[in-house]
Amino acid sequence: MKRAVISAVLGLALITAGCGPSRQNVVVVGSKNFPEQLILGELIAQQIEAKTHLKVERRFYLAGTYICQQAMLAGRIDVYPEYTGTALTAILKEPPLKDPVTVYQKVKQQYEQKFQFAVLPSFGFNDTFAIEIRGADARRLGLRTITEAAKYAPQWRAGFGYEFMERPDGYKGLVATYGLKFAKPPAIMDLGLLDRALASKQVDLAAGNSTDGLIPVLDLAVLHDDKHYFPPYYAVPIVREKALAQHPELRAALMELAGKISDQDMRALNYAVDGEHRSVADVVREFRNKNKLN
Amino acid sequence: MSLWQFLTQNRMEVWQLTLEHLWMVGVSMVIAVAIGVPVGIWLTRRAVLEKPVLGAANVIQTIPSLALFGFLLPAPWIGARAERIAILALVLYALLPVIRNTYVGITGVDRAVVEAGRGMGMTGRQLLLQVELPLALSVIIAGIRVATVISVGLATIAAAIGAGGLGEFIFRGLAMVNNAVILAGAVPAAILALLADFGLGLLEKRLRPA
Amino acid sequence: MTADTQPEKAVEFRDVSYRLDHGATLLHDLNLSVQRGELLVLLGRSGSGKTTTLKLINRLLEPSSGQVLIEGRSSTEWDPIQLRRRIGYAIQEVGLFPHFTVERNIGLVPALEGWSRQRAQERVRELLHLVGLDEQLASRRPRELSGGQRQRVGVARALAADPPILLMDEPFGALDALTRAELQREFLGLQQRLHKTTVFVTHDLREALLLGSRIALLEGGRLIATYTPHEFLHADEPLAAAYVAAFRTEKAGL
Repeated sequence: MKRAVISAVLGLALITAGCGPSRQNVVVVGSKNFPEQLILGELIAQQIEAKTHLKVERRFYLAGTYICQQAMLAGRIDVYPEYTGTALTAILKEPPLKDPVTVYQKVKQQYEQKFQFAVLPSFGFNDTFAIEIRGADARRLGLRTITEAAKYAPQWRAGFGYEFMERPDGYKGLVATYGLKFAKPPAIMDLGLLDRALASKQVDLAAGNSTDGLIPVLDLAVLHDDKHYFPPYYAVPIVREKALAQHPELRAALMELAGKISDQDMRALNYAVDGEHRSVADVVREFRNKNKLN
Repeated sequence: MSLWQFLTQNRMEVWQLTLEHLWMVGVSMVIAVAIGVPVGIWLTRRAVLEKPVLGAANVIQTIPSLALFGFLLPAPWIGARAERIAILALVLYALLPVIRNTYVGITGVDRAVVEAGRGMGMTGRQLLLQVELPLALSVIIAGIRVATVISVGLATIAAAIGAGGLGEFIFRGLAMVNNAVILAGAVPAAILALLADFGLGLLEKRLRPA
Repeated sequence: MTADTQPEKAVEFRDVSYRLDHGATLLHDLNLSVQRGELLVLLGRSGSGKTTTLKLINRLLEPSSGQVLIEGRSSTEWDPIQLRRRIGYAIQEVGLFPHFTVERNIGLVPALEGWSRQRAQERVRELLHLVGLDEQLASRRPRELSGGQRQRVGVARALAADPPILLMDEPFGALDALTRAELQREFLGLQQRLHKTTVFVTHDLREALLLGSRIALLEGGRLIATYTPHEFLHADEPLAAAYVAAFRTEKAGL
């Protein structure tokens, strides 16, 4: 009797140990946890649902680049939207490059080689870092570029997000390239709060994203990166080769999305979700209809 | 949306994450027992080692779990995959209860029984396998029970480093500020912990020598 | 080993001393022998060294100096496992395995020695009769037995593989007076039938006088002298006389 119980328990433990994740006709779409990512993820998901017979499982709100990469490696997600610049520096740990095409090619080649991930053509927009100041300040001081603004840095408080502070293509490089000297160390906060902090004068300069929906709405000015410090961050769908092999129809469906979203489009989409608080699914459906993606 | 609605509408994902959770806990417990029980037995044979080994296991337990996950990120091979980090961390946390209970269980066997066995000509191995382990089994299972329940809870934090499992719902729910999603992770995890506690508790009772 | 070639002295202590790691000496220069077939009682109070002496025989302890010879060979030369399987061992707490049935408990050494199931079962039945227990008890667990029954099982277990030597450490000490007397009588009968070479530890003079063919009196880790029961009752030696006096007072007091 005792022996039977012990073998049953051991058996159960071993079975659960053997159960790695595995699904049949389901494609899992992942995304990070800010609105732009949710929108892109939803776009991918709806596209697959509309153009193939595959079921889609959404695994959004993953907390960052590392987590998405882990999920892809483990096969827990099959596709997610990444940025070429982020892939280059944060995942491949290469030094940043300026030319968008070179970056794309390099990422595509290495992702294929190292991880067996396919990097499909970009959605069309470049969500790079935007150094923002209040529109009023820009007009008053006649500031257009980061170099021009650098003069005022000692009088300003800066605000940045966590990832920006840590990334090799982030804070350190920016300060070095433009010789920025802020009076106090920068305030570090959640990406979503930066724009409002800037508008309400808690900070005077922030690194936001160029596709931020609130830029036009809060009257923020984006300073031109005249020294071309920030690498390109074109959004691309990254798919596991295994998933493509299992479901060849995926490739065609995702290719249709190439080049469909301009910088302006992305800002508008972001604003609809972030500013107007509309549901991501609705906003994406509306966009697809408008652009005849159905 | 209520919790129930969420659970029924996302059945597949709930099941998927639960399996991932069970997998993490299952693998780490198998490893922890495979290491912990022999080490516990070893401690009963070498009294000198008791303090340092139990002391070390104790220290590991006091490291905050999230910190331990973080430490292991840059480690070669282990740090390359979140599941490996998670399982290593879970194994480390499970070691103390397993080792300690194995040690206590075996040293707690009636001295007269062990003396009689040895006096009649049982080898060390025969004593261990036929007398000490069977009589200590209930206490050992109690240690495994505690370790399993701890693991189920800790595995929810593993989602923070991308290892999946029910914790992913919790973190997602926090980011979305959506209680139903948070509970969709927390409630199944709690149920798993309770089931493990109950099931192993039953086993423990059945194996208790009168 | 046939009966002819068995040595006269089943056990012999030659200048044996036993010291603990941190210095205390429990036995001083012990010289003692146990004849084949006799029941030698080791009599003394707590701390006299009687249990230590016993454990030196089945090598649960090893002498710090001197030699303990069992069947002519030093205890340290014997393979300890083989030695112990040839010596029956019964202790006061009995130490029955709580997770084994009575049958499995008694059949422990036979099982270790690889006896066939049938042979072991027969032997168990034989022994249950020998120690006055109902065959039905074979399938019970120790917790279901009374103290007296458990001790009988302990004796049966010690005798199971028919060892040439039997060691007993105050086996009846934990029982109530009635049961103790009963078991002593029965054991005496058993001994008269089997003539097993036995070394029996006790602090109870009455038990010593009843069971022993010889009594070795120990005090403070030294052997004072050995006596037959009759010699003991009339001994001049002060300690022995003191024991006898205490014995008589007890009897008188009843």
